[in-house]
Amino acid sequence: MRARTLGSSTTALIVFVVAAVIAASAIARGQGAASAAAKPIPRTADGKPDFSGVWIANSTIRLLEGEQQVEAMRQGDRAAGRQPLPPPEPLSYKPEYEKVRQEFLARRGIDDPMARCLISGVPRISVRPLPFQIVQTPGLFVLLYEVHHAFRIIPTDGRPHPDDIEPSYNGDSTARWDGNTLVVDVTGFNTKTWLAGVGTVHSEQLHVTERYTRDSYDTIRYDVLVEDPEVLTKPWNMHELFRLRPNERIREYECIENNEDLLRIEKLLQNESVFRIK
Amino acid sequence: MTKMFGVALAMLVAVAGVSAHHSFAAEYDSNKPVNVSGTVMNVEWTNPHIHFWVDVKGADGSVVHWRFEGYPPNMLVRQGWKKDVTLKPGDTITVTGWQARLEPTLGAAREVTFADGRKMSAGPPAGTGGQ
Repeated sequence: MRARTLGSSTTALIVFVVAAVIAASAIARGQGAASAAAKPIPRTADGKPDFSGVWIANSTIRLLEGEQQVEAMRQGDRAAGRQPLPPPEPLSYKPEYEKVRQEFLARRGIDDPMARCLISGVPRISVRPLPFQIVQTPGLFVLLYEVHHAFRIIPTDGRPHPDDIEPSYNGDSTARWDGNTLVVDVTGFNTKTWLAGVGTVHSEQLHVTERYTRDSYDTIRYDVLVEDPEVLTKPWNMHELFRLRPNERIREYECIENNEDLLRIEKLLQNESVFRIK
Repeated sequence: MTKMFGVALAMLVAVAGVSAHHSFAAEYDSNKPVNVSGTVMNVEWTNPHIHFWVDVKGADGSVVHWRFEGYPPNMLVRQGWKKDVTLKPGDTITVTGWQARLEPTLGAAREVTFADGRKMSAGPPAGTGGQ
């Protein structure tokens, strides 16, 4: 409120000073990130890129460390010559499923399976604001997610999926190498997860192809192709960057410990007009 | 028009990289910001959210018992919080956040300001949720 009483020149000066401080700090940190990017990419005994380490989605840095750090990392990316991620692509649903999605949106996401502490599914689990650890050996790529105690144990020898898959939250994964990129093929999903956000439903036909590329010492480029001919009119591409967290470790996270949202949601559902978009 | 804007906003949030543990938008009203000062009465350091109680004295001497929800402990620890140290009964704090749709004295905390002026992030921005 008080800012409204300031003169425009004073406000402009404040904005300028704040921007200059942020930029200076960002450049300083960006240089640090650039030097980290210059470190060689580790490799496992079989010569493949080694993804081992604790990682977190780029989009989470904003929550944990603020906009200033996000900008610093962008500066580091530019200094390292990294191509920016493509802009987010909208999901293209068939009309009958778009209607379903719109209903979930109108209900402001109250039906989100995650509110019940259920495993988030792929690729959504990759961008949750809690870190995950990759443990890699020749022939095996293991993802240990802090969220939900979820894990994925993925053979990397290109073997086919088992023929006895039961539909599950994270599906069944098998991987092969494409040069320095690990290509993970995921299928066998149940229909109890959302793809990326509120109402992004899918069918059991969901087929996800994840491409993990360690494009620098401290980053993994994560490119995802989502195909579901039952609900989508065309495949959907998603891109994210994972950042190495060298001083981080995976901690216990027991989501159901004290999940009061369940009770609150039950109460809200008794009176939809309280939360529903009019 | 309002509905279209609301849905568009929700879609924007939906494609954002950071997903909510719960639906923030269903449980809390981002049009009802909260800013209260008072004394911490209790802290519940649990998943998927911490909770803390703040007694807020009115001008007439009456006391309103506010309750706030925040990030899970792991998110807070990563931002410098420490259980039983950073926030404890008896502390005088100011909390900003948003009011719950159903309970008038329940809020989603965004930031806590401590007696010495320190400010710490306590919960997610409106709309994006936490864990």
